[in-house]
Amino acid sequence: MHKLIRLELEKFKLSGYVWRALIANFVIFGLICVISFIEKIEGAEVFQDRYMALQIIETMIRATFIIFAGVLLSRIVISEFKNKSISVLFMYPINRKKLIVAKLLIVVAFTFICIILSYFLVGSSFYVFDRFAHVVPDSLPFADVLSYFSIVLMNALAASCMSLIPLYFGMKKFSGSTTIVASIITVLIVCQNVGGFTLNSIIFIPISLSLLGVFIAYSAIKNIENIDVIN
Amino acid sequence: MTYILRTTQLTKSYMGNEVVSNVNMKIKKGEIYGFLGPNGAGKTTIMKMITNLVKPTSGEIELFGEKLMNQSYHLLGRMGSIIENPIFYDKLTARKNLELHCEYMGFHNKQAIDEALVLVHLKNIDEKPVKDFSLGMKQRLGIARAIVTKPEFLILDEPINGLDPVGIKEIRDLFKMLSKEYGITILVSSHILGEIEKVADTIAVINQGKLIEEVTMEHIREKNSEYIELATNDYKKTAYLLEHQLKIVNFRVIDNYFIRVYESDVSLGELSKMLILNDVVIESIHKKESSLEDYFLSLLNRGGISA
Repeated sequence: MHKLIRLELEKFKLSGYVWRALIANFVIFGLICVISFIEKIEGAEVFQDRYMALQIIETMIRATFIIFAGVLLSRIVISEFKNKSISVLFMYPINRKKLIVAKLLIVVAFTFICIILSYFLVGSSFYVFDRFAHVVPDSLPFADVLSYFSIVLMNALAASCMSLIPLYFGMKKFSGSTTIVASIITVLIVCQNVGGFTLNSIIFIPISLSLLGVFIAYSAIKNIENIDVIN
Repeated sequence: MTYILRTTQLTKSYMGNEVVSNVNMKIKKGEIYGFLGPNGAGKTTIMKMITNLVKPTSGEIELFGEKLMNQSYHLLGRMGSIIENPIFYDKLTARKNLELHCEYMGFHNKQAIDEALVLVHLKNIDEKPVKDFSLGMKQRLGIARAIVTKPEFLILDEPINGLDPVGIKEIRDLFKMLSKEYGITILVSSHILGEIEKVADTIAVINQGKLIEEVTMEHIREKNSEYIELATNDYKKTAYLLEHQLKIVNFRVIDNYFIRVYESDVSLGELSKMLILNDVVIESIHKKESSLEDYFLSLLNRGGISA
């Protein structure tokens, strides 16, 4: 499995995505700084409480990387079917299930790790920013950044599983754009925030969506040995 | 006799449409087996079933003496193939593609990549991504990928597509060399008769999903010997003369008009001289060689369509 993952990374030059993830982090950080700073200048109350800043950061990161996962899925899974290179892959003396599992593992692991690392990166940068700009009421203690982590962890786990939902739609017609649109719709469901209220906080929604993602991956893998690679 | 491949009553249908029906074929170890048939005859589908990409609706495939199942992954490592147009990871270079191929196949002789590229005459391609290759170059690279691990069994679907005449000759020689020197069994398909005829030891003619005939080239050559065809004003007398004067027995009267003499040691001159001396008027006389093409066309026509 380790070797299969390494070969996938080589094949799609996935190291490039690490840079893209870093750039995304930078943009998220810039955005949160600009928003809070301008609001402060205009005299509005930016964050109702200390956690809100962290919540917004976490939501933005999660949204970004669910869509990232959609892009990855379309690149390493859907495009193989679309370009028919899957027929090359399926002619190797390697279990088809393992080949697909390796691909999906990359997507899930990448999403999870990126969300966690990005939270630390953007969260601590924002903490430093707040020391100077004082945008959070009573200023943001670093302990809060850490204690909020348990929520981030749960959300990251859920997001990694949810990120597999677009697989179902993408595999219908082997379309990369459908995959990405599906991931954007997923984001619209779980990452919106209306005045502090978010669907993600109704615990039933993230849990059922995560289970749906896992189920979609499972059913894609389950039957893969018996299907015809036509096209 | 060891067979690399044997199929029994192999059938594939898509939504009730039989594209391959009841094919029984046998490929002997070490031979070049030519698959001949018009476009859409079912050649590719059969090859996909052999490589496990497509699962048969009914019937069996036996590869290397073992029944091919959905989980027979280990058998795939003993085959090399090009199915339809060769497909690559086209943002990568040719060498990277071959390296990935070797890794997936579990083959670790890096030198083999250079050897394979030389064998298919691909040069100066080091920095180029495969998407910039011409069709002919891709075809060569596809062949290189199929042979790089020196598999026991090569499956090549229309391998000469997109090659120029010189390229076709090079690749043909390569196949013969692989078969002779490495003892690799080759299954090669084409809709071009002339090509198959030049490399194959055994030819299978397939049309509309059915295997019409499986014959050795040797057998075909014997069957299609030369003959002299002559037309005279009196076929009965001619036949009598042939039998009693020239002691020829191997001839045939066609439509009570033409006579075909299959004896090979009778010359045209001898025959006409004898007939003239016996007052038979010769209306036409010529030597004919029924070509392989005629033979195959007749086979295909028997299958129900005009090729």
